[in-house]
Amino acid sequence: MSGVSENRVLAGSPSTGEAARGGLIADVPRRALILLGLFAALLLVAPATVGDYLLSVMILVLYYAYLGLAWNVMMGFAGQFSLGHALYIGLGGYTAGALFVHYGLPPWFGMVVGAAVAAVMGGVIGALGFRFGVKGVYFALLTIAFAEFTRILFDHWGWVGASSGLYLPVEYRDTDDLWLLRGSATMFYYVILAMTAGAFILCHWLLQRRVGYYWQAIREDQEAAQTLGIDVFRYKMIAVMLSAAMTAIGGVFYAFYYNNLYPETIFSMHRSIELMLGVIIGGIGTLFGPILGAIVLTTLGEMLTGLTEDLGLDGIKQMSYGVALLVIIVYRPGGLWPWLRRRLGLEKPR
Amino acid sequence: MSKKSEILSAKPISRRLFTGGIAAGAALAATGLPTRRARAAAPLKIGVLLPRSGHLALIGQQCQRGADIAVPLLADMGHSVTLMNADIESSPDVARTQAEKLIREGAHVLMGAFQSDATAAIAQVAEQKGIPFIVNIAADPAITEQGYKFTFRNFPTSPMLGMGGMSLFKDIFAATGTTPKTAVLMHVNDSFGMSMLKGIQALTPKLNLPFKIVETIAYDPKARDLSIEVAKAKAAGADMHMVVSRLNDAILMVREMVKQQYEPMGIISPGSPGMYEKQFFKALGKYSEYCITNVPWFDPKQEMTSVLGAAFEKAYPDQSYELNIGFTFEAVLIAADAYKRAGSTDSKALAEALRASNIAKRVMIGGPIQFDEKGQNKNLKSAAVQNRGGKPVVVMPKESAEMAPVFPMPGWKARS
Repeated sequence: MSGVSENRVLAGSPSTGEAARGGLIADVPRRALILLGLFAALLLVAPATVGDYLLSVMILVLYYAYLGLAWNVMMGFAGQFSLGHALYIGLGGYTAGALFVHYGLPPWFGMVVGAAVAAVMGGVIGALGFRFGVKGVYFALLTIAFAEFTRILFDHWGWVGASSGLYLPVEYRDTDDLWLLRGSATMFYYVILAMTAGAFILCHWLLQRRVGYYWQAIREDQEAAQTLGIDVFRYKMIAVMLSAAMTAIGGVFYAFYYNNLYPETIFSMHRSIELMLGVIIGGIGTLFGPILGAIVLTTLGEMLTGLTEDLGLDGIKQMSYGVALLVIIVYRPGGLWPWLRRRLGLEKPR
Repeated sequence: MSKKSEILSAKPISRRLFTGGIAAGAALAATGLPTRRARAAAPLKIGVLLPRSGHLALIGQQCQRGADIAVPLLADMGHSVTLMNADIESSPDVARTQAEKLIREGAHVLMGAFQSDATAAIAQVAEQKGIPFIVNIAADPAITEQGYKFTFRNFPTSPMLGMGGMSLFKDIFAATGTTPKTAVLMHVNDSFGMSMLKGIQALTPKLNLPFKIVETIAYDPKARDLSIEVAKAKAAGADMHMVVSRLNDAILMVREMVKQQYEPMGIISPGSPGMYEKQFFKALGKYSEYCITNVPWFDPKQEMTSVLGAAFEKAYPDQSYELNIGFTFEAVLIAADAYKRAGSTDSKALAEALRASNIAKRVMIGGPIQFDEKGQNKNLKSAAVQNRGGKPVVVMPKESAEMAPVFPMPGWKARS
């Protein structure tokens, strides 16, 4: 898998482990750091230079980048395929949203509870799957099954609004309230930017630690990893629970940004696919792939939306979107990031 | 030649040219008329947000036809509107960004969006930006319970729909002198079907309806075979067959009823799509007849209804002329009417005008279009629409009825 070599370069191969322990950026090429700095600076000043519409598109980009990073922990790093990550978005969103609506508890508290609930749910799915040897696509089916029955449960649970949905109160405000996550698009932009940056740094850090190497070993050859003494069950569980918790935090953002939650929308299979598409396009198992994938997909989507309106042909967006994805998958099967990184000369000499 | 070099090589402004320009500018400024007139004549820009692709594409495109056909019809009535169309792809996330895009591109009013989750997302953007939003179709009551000042809904909430649909049963029985004692209910098992089931179970005793539901049969709306479900319904031996369906399953169900010679007194839906749609008539022919659906519907007694119907038939001869068209047309009408009274595209003035709406000449059944303090039109009624002569015909309420209801319906054999 191409992700292995990508990760070795980014996270440092086993031989460079000592350098990696020297700090988060010790192993990152200078050129990459400069580009990353420029990229971060651009993102930081963006709200001052773009309008509301572009800002909302950028929020979407960062939101999908964040979710992609979360999904990547489980699939990209540990090789456990989940097709039901919408479950954790929903659990996070509903937990924080319901605590806010019913008890006035701030989203930051809801975030902790939501992440814990999702981690437990991830743990249950993981335990069931890993204990009973459910692997590959069958494990993916298990994740879908949990997302589906949770959707049905929420569809009939009056406390969270059942199928009528849960609405968070919206009011006109002149000021931003970061504590209650009520306010302007600019505030939400910086929140999701911080979340994405945090997830990126966390993933980078994890890949430099023992757990990162173990995950990659499990992903490449589980039996070999087990033979080497790695507690496969334990490390797979860590990946699933961490990924679930991170995704749930994304769900909390969704709840407070959109202010309405419907089981049919938030737990849908469509949402699960949506969040992993960016990672596949950007490069599974890479650090920057989910971010690049989210940028490409969202930008492509917006461009095609414009084209659809100009041509007046409904559905052409979905068709063009599919064709574009097909082209990317055929010509860059390892994702766009490994290719782009080579073009930018960011690879570390071996 | 590049723009820069064009500028550099341009002749310097002469004194005569400068004086002439100033004079012309002063004259324009003094009269000011052309500018003002141009502004007054400018059409109202309505941002239309509908799910024209994705899983709700069929209905979204149908709604779009209702909006498109409104523009020339309203122009004939002296209204000037243009549509800025946006496809929300059956997704609330896309609905939000599309709403922001339309506002950025200069939409004065937003309209949409058929699905409740997308409507809620748009309502939030509209509220934050202070742009009026007219809901054509979306039944979730919570949308108008948020204290929004810029959202106006001309569609019944789900409790209103349930109440309207269920209370018509008694009227039908009274008008025909036939009262069934028992009923069987077949319903789709999706969110819509389950919420309808809850509503029916709650309202049946509350409204003191004369029949008892002896069997409730849930089924998958994507089912390819309903033989077992229909056999079960037949075995229940109930007088009346109640149904909460979508289109394809409604066709399957009636076919199976004919096949199994299951002949209840009537097939009545308390409020669901399927049985009034063109494809239902095409697929079932004579067996589509006499089915009844209780839904908000066109008022055949309104002059505007026949005008809209004729224009629609001419423009889209193969499409169903049904409630989605009517409510979307009315949404454009409401915006145009508010603009006429406000005399301005200012969002606050438009919102005030919308709040004061009182539109008696409309196309759907109900009183004049008026919004309460929450932005909800309370003057909306359901009608009993019976399939007669290959089209849906209003049989209740009496004041809007085109024909008297037929109940019990003739048996399958009697129709040949």
